[in-house]
Amino acid sequence: MKKLVDVLKKNSLQKTQEPKLTSRREFFKKTGTLSAIAATAISPLTLKGDDDAIIHHPEWGQVWGDPVTKNLYGMPSKYEHNNTRRYTKLLASGNYRASIAVTPIHESEGIITPNGLFFNRTHGGVAHIDPKKYRLMIHGLVKKPIVLTLEQLKRYPKVTRIHFIECPANGGQEWRRPQYNSLQFAKGFMSCAQWTGVYIKTLLEDLGLKPEAKWMLAEGSDSSEMARTVPIEKVLDDAMLVWGQNGEALRPEQGYPVRLLLPGWEGNLCVKWLKRLEFASEPWYAKEETSKYTVLKPDGKAIQHFYANEVNSTVVSPSPEKPWTDLKDGEIVEIEGLAWSGMGTITRVDLSFDGGRNYVEANLKGLVLPKCWTRWSYIHKYKKGERLLLTSRAMDDAGYIQPTIDEEVGMIGVEGVYHRNAVETWEVTENGEVNHVQIRS
Amino acid sequence: MFKLDHKLIIFSILASATISFAQIVKKPDIAGGVYYPIVGDQTHIYKVNPNAYGLKLYKGRVPTKNELKAWDKDVMPDGTGLPEGKGSVEKGEELYEAKCIMCHGDFGSGGGGYPALSAGNAYEVHETLKNNRWKDPEADGPIRVFGSYWPQASTLFWYIKDAMPHQKTKTLTNDETYALVAYILNINEIEIDGEEVDEEYVLTRDKFLKIQMPNKDGFVPNIDGKDGVENVRKFFSNPKNFGAIKVKESERCMTNCQKASAKVVRISGEGISDFHPPISVERSLPKEVNKEEKKSNFNPQKVFETNCAMCHNGEVAPGAKNKGAWAKFIKKGIEKVYENGIKGTNNGMPPKGGSSISDEEFKKVVDFMLDFD
Repeated sequence: MKKLVDVLKKNSLQKTQEPKLTSRREFFKKTGTLSAIAATAISPLTLKGDDDAIIHHPEWGQVWGDPVTKNLYGMPSKYEHNNTRRYTKLLASGNYRASIAVTPIHESEGIITPNGLFFNRTHGGVAHIDPKKYRLMIHGLVKKPIVLTLEQLKRYPKVTRIHFIECPANGGQEWRRPQYNSLQFAKGFMSCAQWTGVYIKTLLEDLGLKPEAKWMLAEGSDSSEMARTVPIEKVLDDAMLVWGQNGEALRPEQGYPVRLLLPGWEGNLCVKWLKRLEFASEPWYAKEETSKYTVLKPDGKAIQHFYANEVNSTVVSPSPEKPWTDLKDGEIVEIEGLAWSGMGTITRVDLSFDGGRNYVEANLKGLVLPKCWTRWSYIHKYKKGERLLLTSRAMDDAGYIQPTIDEEVGMIGVEGVYHRNAVETWEVTENGEVNHVQIRS
Repeated sequence: MFKLDHKLIIFSILASATISFAQIVKKPDIAGGVYYPIVGDQTHIYKVNPNAYGLKLYKGRVPTKNELKAWDKDVMPDGTGLPEGKGSVEKGEELYEAKCIMCHGDFGSGGGGYPALSAGNAYEVHETLKNNRWKDPEADGPIRVFGSYWPQASTLFWYIKDAMPHQKTKTLTNDETYALVAYILNINEIEIDGEEVDEEYVLTRDKFLKIQMPNKDGFVPNIDGKDGVENVRKFFSNPKNFGAIKVKESERCMTNCQKASAKVVRISGEGISDFHPPISVERSLPKEVNKEEKKSNFNPQKVFETNCAMCHNGEVAPGAKNKGAWAKFIKKGIEKVYENGIKGTNNGMPPKGGSSISDEEFKKVVDFMLDFD
């Protein structure tokens, strides 16, 4: 009540300062303040009467906003502060320098990840490169090697493409059981952006690639000199050197000023802070293509040079982070998700309400592009108290379908770490909470 | 939209000295995926400018010999790029204890979030690679360390030379790198040409090239030799090889797709829930943290414990509050101590201990360490 008294006082003060209460609008403005305070104890959801958010002018509607001179590089609304990348101590390797911060997929909209939320994986920390000192060297089995400055590189004819980049360890902590009750951590080792750069094949036109060149080494200039070997065929297909990310320069976390982009292939292959490309007739055996990023099978052999991220999908809404606890009986709600494949274009997404026993077809929506996030949707009538096991299953135009957990484990075992793409399940409990579960036989 | 049959777009390489864009061999995607060619002015649904391809643009310059030498430092399994040099296990152990032990642990046992370098005799540990916990979750898992898992020793030399020590890379000489490699071979009990890399061993380039790692043949597909690339293509053309399934759309299972034994497996306990910041989808404003208050809350001891203690409370660097250990550094003056700490040193001190605090805050941490009783 003390607050109310204060407001009353304040109002009478305003009245004395501003004696002319001329218009009807101003009258509501003043009297409205009183009822706004009186109603604060009542949640807008249960409010039977008028909604204060409508009846009364909000603060921002009556005063000047920021001048255009403020925030010359725009920032998200201060209310969006929880929409951030996140990290966990489990993956704290190298004092968080050989580590990852993952994308809040549960808050994602459409198929583009904002640059500040793009997942960030490094092997020696995020390097900050002076663009004036940036050099790219291309050499080895080419007739004429080359050194380029950033400005020279940017003068080649540009290509712009929308592709996801996924760490092949996405979901890799859950081979034996579900561990993360979170969409962000269960599937957030990936993001999708519009990339601008140049096809490497355009550069190679005048370098004269020798026929015996079979492999390309891509090496970063960060402290770890992250390096990977790429077969020449990908280089001559859709491999790009990119400097643009969603309409601006790459962020340092994504390899500013230049990274390699191998559409659809392991994020680790898309070497950041790129410094050198070398061509050879034999592969290199870099550290991150043997000690890591290899998939150990039950026979003791490991798959190496496992390039493409396979067809995959997830339900995004609802999620453990964004449950259905507020839904009313009979309410119509959209089940929405993402599907992606590094091997092609999404053709189908099926949705199961019983953990993968029976499926119905969901609808794809928006742009359906190769090696790109694709949104899908299913309209559902929610029944209060229903218990669901939501499982999505995607297919691509290469003909692959997501395996069940049993199928994938049956072929690959549980020690592979990387390239897990079996179907994922959310349990919706009777009160609308959402839990990450797995269906296994 | 168009999808061309892979088989329709096979071109042949013309007998020229170099490959040009139009002559690239078009085959099914090497990784088992769909290949989307550029045809005319389009690839998939993306438009392209066909005049932008096949140009001679060469916008840079040819690198000098010295520039190539400076950057072309990679080491290949056949010895390409491997410099001359030598190093003993004894010297390697000395270096290891000075520069590596704080992260990789005693005898490469790992710790602190950094990988182990050895789990004992590599030939024995190699046998664990067949361990797989898919049938028995309580069984032992496979142990993937350098000795048991890495197929090539060249990787180790290259990686140490380029990327170690982690907080101050590219600071080791060739001989130091040989010594560290020798030590790591030693703790993995590797044999070279029938001879165990014992404590007396001195590694040279010639000996290095004779190393056969226990898991040399542990990887598929075989990428070496003239058929390497084709082996990869063949491997990924069979979905079973890599745990994938292909099915016709009309034949995918839509009803009764599960075994009767299917059950719901839940996260055990809290699972992994140590998330930073904690998960929240709230749209209320964060608590305003007063900047001045934040400053006064700066806790040098906490920073010391998270960033510095690993070395400064180990044998590696002078310990906090240890007057004797600091004596020779303090002689050079406190400003020099600050400067070395802020800029880092070649003896393994990373700039500001790898923290991102301000110079002033860092000095407070130094003051905390030098606050002798």
